[in-house]
Amino acid sequence: MLGDWHQLWEIVSAPDNVPIVALLFLVPFYVWYAFRQARANDELIEKLEADPAAAKTAHRKTQPYHPKWDREVHTWPYLMRVEFVAAILVTVLLMVWSLTLNAPLEEPSNPNVTMNPAKAPWYFLGLQEMLVYFDPWIAGVVMPTLIIIGLMCIPYIDANPLGNGYYTYKQRRFAIWTFSLGFIGLWVVMISIGTFIRGPGWMWFWPTSTWDAERVEYAVNRNLDTIPGVVTGGLFQINGSWVAHLLPTANRDYAPILARIIFGIFPVAIYFMVASYAVYLVMNSTNFAQRIFRRMTLLQIVTTDLLLVLMLALPVKILLRLIFRIKYIWVTPWFSI
Amino acid sequence: MPDLPPQQDDPIVSRPLNGLILISAFLLLLTVAWSLYSEFFGLRPWRSYQNRFRSVYATYLQKQIAQRRAAEQTLYATPDYQKLEAAVKTAGNAALPADRQISEQIDLLDRQRAILTPPFQDGRGRVGALTYQLEQIPERDKSAKASKLKQLNDAKAVTYALNWPTANGTKLRQFNYDDLNNTFTAIMTEKAALVSKRGDQDKSAKDAQAALDTFVKERLPGLGSTDLQGLLNSVSGMDIKLKQINVNPPGTLINYVGGVGLVDRCQSCHVATDPLLVPAVMTLTRADLGVAQDNDAPFTSHPDPDLLKFHPQEKFGCSPCHGGNGRALDTVERAHGRYEHWLWPLYYAANYDAGCQQCHAADAITEHAPVLNRGKELFREKGCIGCHKFQGFDNQDDLLTATRQQITLLESDRKSDEDEIPRLNKLGDQASDNTVANNFYQQAQNLTVTIASMDSQEEQLELKSHDLLQEIKKVGPDLKEVRMKIHKEWIPYWLEHTHEWRPTTKMPQFRLQPDEVQAIAAFIWQSALTGPALPKQTPGNAMHGKELLESRGCLGCHSVGEGSNTMGGTFAANLSRVGEKDNYDYLVRWVHNPRERTRPYSPFEKRDLGPEDYAKHGMPFVFDLAHSRSPNDGHELVVQQPTVMPSLRLSIEDSRDIASYLIALKRPDAHFDPADFMDDPKLKDKGKALVQFYGCAGCHEIAGLEDEGRVGTELTNEGSKPIERLDFALFTEDAKRGIEPDGKKTTRGPWYDLKGFFEHKLANPAVYDIGKYKPNPLDRLRMPRPNVNGDDIDAITTMLLGSTDASLPPDYMYKPADDRAGIQKGWWIVTKYNCMGCHQIDIGQKSVLMGLPMYQGEDKINLPPVLTSEGARVNPEWLKNFLANPALSTTDLNRDGVRSYLQVRMPTFFFSDDEIRTLVLFFEALSHQAEPFIPQKVEPLSTTEAGMARALFTSTAAPCLKCHATGEPAHDKNATAPNFLLAKDRLRPAWTGRWITNPQLIIPGTAMPSGLFRRENDHWVFSGPIPENMRTYSGDHADLLVRYMFTLTPEEQRLLLGRTTTTTARGN
Repeated sequence: MLGDWHQLWEIVSAPDNVPIVALLFLVPFYVWYAFRQARANDELIEKLEADPAAAKTAHRKTQPYHPKWDREVHTWPYLMRVEFVAAILVTVLLMVWSLTLNAPLEEPSNPNVTMNPAKAPWYFLGLQEMLVYFDPWIAGVVMPTLIIIGLMCIPYIDANPLGNGYYTYKQRRFAIWTFSLGFIGLWVVMISIGTFIRGPGWMWFWPTSTWDAERVEYAVNRNLDTIPGVVTGGLFQINGSWVAHLLPTANRDYAPILARIIFGIFPVAIYFMVASYAVYLVMNSTNFAQRIFRRMTLLQIVTTDLLLVLMLALPVKILLRLIFRIKYIWVTPWFSI
Repeated sequence: MPDLPPQQDDPIVSRPLNGLILISAFLLLLTVAWSLYSEFFGLRPWRSYQNRFRSVYATYLQKQIAQRRAAEQTLYATPDYQKLEAAVKTAGNAALPADRQISEQIDLLDRQRAILTPPFQDGRGRVGALTYQLEQIPERDKSAKASKLKQLNDAKAVTYALNWPTANGTKLRQFNYDDLNNTFTAIMTEKAALVSKRGDQDKSAKDAQAALDTFVKERLPGLGSTDLQGLLNSVSGMDIKLKQINVNPPGTLINYVGGVGLVDRCQSCHVATDPLLVPAVMTLTRADLGVAQDNDAPFTSHPDPDLLKFHPQEKFGCSPCHGGNGRALDTVERAHGRYEHWLWPLYYAANYDAGCQQCHAADAITEHAPVLNRGKELFREKGCIGCHKFQGFDNQDDLLTATRQQITLLESDRKSDEDEIPRLNKLGDQASDNTVANNFYQQAQNLTVTIASMDSQEEQLELKSHDLLQEIKKVGPDLKEVRMKIHKEWIPYWLEHTHEWRPTTKMPQFRLQPDEVQAIAAFIWQSALTGPALPKQTPGNAMHGKELLESRGCLGCHSVGEGSNTMGGTFAANLSRVGEKDNYDYLVRWVHNPRERTRPYSPFEKRDLGPEDYAKHGMPFVFDLAHSRSPNDGHELVVQQPTVMPSLRLSIEDSRDIASYLIALKRPDAHFDPADFMDDPKLKDKGKALVQFYGCAGCHEIAGLEDEGRVGTELTNEGSKPIERLDFALFTEDAKRGIEPDGKKTTRGPWYDLKGFFEHKLANPAVYDIGKYKPNPLDRLRMPRPNVNGDDIDAITTMLLGSTDASLPPDYMYKPADDRAGIQKGWWIVTKYNCMGCHQIDIGQKSVLMGLPMYQGEDKINLPPVLTSEGARVNPEWLKNFLANPALSTTDLNRDGVRSYLQVRMPTFFFSDDEIRTLVLFFEALSHQAEPFIPQKVEPLSTTEAGMARALFTSTAAPCLKCHATGEPAHDKNATAPNFLLAKDRLRPAWTGRWITNPQLIIPGTAMPSGLFRRENDHWVFSGPIPENMRTYSGDHADLLVRYMFTLTPEEQRLLLGRTTTTTARGN
């Protein structure tokens, strides 16, 4: 039932959640601010490209611009004084924050009682949300590792020489889209979901609905291989009778599980093939993109493709889970996807 | 790209930031100021509390000092005071010259020591160092050793020249090391001797001062003006600082917080609880300080300073008893721990006593904790214990089960051993050689001995179960007897209208559907016993019955009358509508002996035995405490009804009279619908299931359900249950937001805590079912609604809140190992049988009877005896016998063994041996008597002494036999005190001596006259005219009389009786 404003206030006013409330406003603001600057720069670039003479007299590639202005200004005092003001204001902000909100300390932990909802600190809520869609091994270990590896790889797979030191959209369209999808579209959104939407029992509560720990909802998920109709007859019969024929008699009991494992490989493989090809298409979608693509080595291309395919797996899985109530695609005794 | 006017300067270079920097700097300054304020005041509200306290308390003290001074001046002007003061002065002056002389001597010694000390330190340092060096040289290095030794001796020989002070000026004196050493020791010894001599010198002056002080203290109790002035000085000079109590019990955690013990800073705001500022003799209230209306002035001192004597602050701090977050200081809410994340919030005023329960869970009665005591009383009386296990409360049923299991196990062991013996013997017979054969025979023999020892063990277990069976009491009546006792139609009515029909009943109101009522009633009816039939009784005299009911002591437990006319105790049922439901014949039997059963119950055979079982073995159908073994298997039987109601040992005629009176107590319009369904056998099984479901057997004995356990949850540690484990159901959110189930706002705010849960549950146990969809009635919460009011709910809530899983170290738990353990155990028995309905046991406690109209004024002497000094008064061996048989006779039961003259009667409780032991130890411990008891020797009287004592005993000024009973019916008609012949076995001589010399001291208001003796030359002398033959007697008259009483024989008493004229007089 919606309309419980008290509940909403309790969530947004919790000292734990203050950074995320700020995040909700600050992220859009800075995105807008960066894009405004990028747009102005792009216009300037366009203009200078059209006017080689002006380009030679050369100016700061930032907007606004006037021919009379110096091409460079001194760090001191022009940068330092701005930073000084910023430092003062941030100090004021942090002091006011620490004066008004106490650290959210709770009671000594009781190993016999789990708090409900049990939430990670805000910066880990994205990871915790991922646990809804993948098994703990994938969501807790593999994915975070891949994220870090991916971030480390960026300088080595980035073949685009343009756009360093100034805001631009046109010259780094691919990078900007990738970042927006990965950071804003997935990470920030998942943190927001974890903070504002997930209530007791990690159930989905729309804002202003009461977080009722007693709530009961129908949320039975199934694995892909157990959905009737998806896998019928033929080679993929889940009872594994066909695998049984291939196994020594002593090991026939393993047939059903083996059949499931083998079955799961196919949808995953199909996803990888389709997604890789889609990424390949995106990487060649414009002339500019093609030029960059041609600069890349095979290793760079494969790494980029693989990382993007893995990143895309997350939204795909989210949709499968939320819309089709599918728990796992590929179930094995050791991990599940 | 925007076209900018060409003259415009580059904003990065030209835009002035001055304003921005100024504003930022100003903001920063403001924030720093804010943080400083927060640092010194905002987060430290105790500073302003202390400031305020300092000023209001100083004003208060000044006022007190002024008043006190005035009072003191008045006192100082009295001649008595001046006389004493003069005495102090005289004594002081007398001691003065000697005192001065000693002071001069001490002064000289001090000067000498001052001169001596520097050279002595110098020499000692040198000699010490050289000695060490000498010791370090190995033995073999003889030459080095010898040279060092020489150095040492040289150092000792060094002399110091000192200006040595003497009584007449100084003179030069030489000291070597040994001189220094010896002189120093001599000076110290001499000084000590002088100091002690000065003390002796001052003794008379000190005594005079002490007499003066006592004089002042007696007339002006409390703190003197000098003390108050001292307080005022220390308050005025009080530092505003954080005050904390640190307790670090070794190896333990208090409140589990921080793992390093307790840190309580409560006194930082509650300043007046610091005994250095407000001594225990003062109790400071807000009204005293003139801030009565101010709710933000935590300045009262601890209202019960006595409690702090047993619980010193330096060991207990504050929060272990009161709850709250002792470390927090920044806000009241935090410090009191009343927020979500502090698990031990401050107890609310209604539940203060919960703090006591944490350590006093093993006590039935805790001094200073009336609310807690009431809670425990209710827990037992209202039958909570019937469903909820609670450690420390009656657990005889559990013990009995364990005992029975042991017996069964023992029997099966015995059986297998018996089977083993012939096998071993056979093996022995078949053995190949003698050694092996003997080995087998030996084993067989050992087994026979083992069996014998098992037999004795089993015998003990049977005795134990005999005791336990006797001790098991049910809160409600035995429903096996229901067919004999109750009118059939009344039962379903009662189940539905429990609290309506009898507003004071203990029985809770169950939430039953009409079909459930029918089924339960049918099961109870059909499972009840039908015979052997009760004897038919003739009607009695109801008027006489009423008289008996009101005079025999029934009203110590029961009440009669309805509404505001109710009179009597609340421990047992209100009898005003008994006539509407009970059968007369049964009532007669019940009044005559409530423990009498229709059939004995065999726990081993799990059925009630009948005459046929006894007949099989050729035995008469007789079962009682003396015949408690089963004729079938020899095991202990349940031979009594499980009620705490005792037998008053009334004659059958008196019983009929009382029953006739009771049966007439009914409303004229009483009518119950016929209930034919109760005979419908189809309902029986359903009824049984329901009876099991609702746990009826927790309080009632019910056929077929004798072994049912408790259906409720155990509550021993309920106070530390995590809040998440308590189901507030649909009220979870409302409770967190302070909304009552009826939609109103609560006064205390959110009630999502244990207190809130308990209070709502007790007021309406069905509350957490509201709004829930439970089509099957058996899915609903089954707890019935207890018959409790708001105060009762507070009391039970208090008890539950304090019932925590030890969050305090084990040595804080009150589990005394000395005689107080006897007191602790005894209270459980005393409260179980409601001894305090009739007797005063604890100092200051009032019995129920003391409040009844027939025991007021002159009639107080008809009250049962006061037992505050019982342990010191009576011989424990005698007390054992008396408790087992208060008639003190095996034949003449319809009487009181000691106070035959009283109408009110000490009933027979059929205590188990263990209960008697506990009670005797309880009384002994309460009066600080050593255990085990060793009787005091009473010197026999010589013939002369006997003659003197006789004269004293029969003296007209103290005609003992005028009031004391003798056993002669004619004389005893007017007797108001016990028979002297009992004294020898019953009383302790020491107590008797104290009693006859000053009975008012022991029992204020007693009819026993005081002032019979007066103190003269360190012994007691008779106050009346001293008999002729005693004129020259120099011994203690009281002692003589006591010795006489302890040797009094019936013949002697009969002889004396003739001498004393019998007149009406009253005495105790």
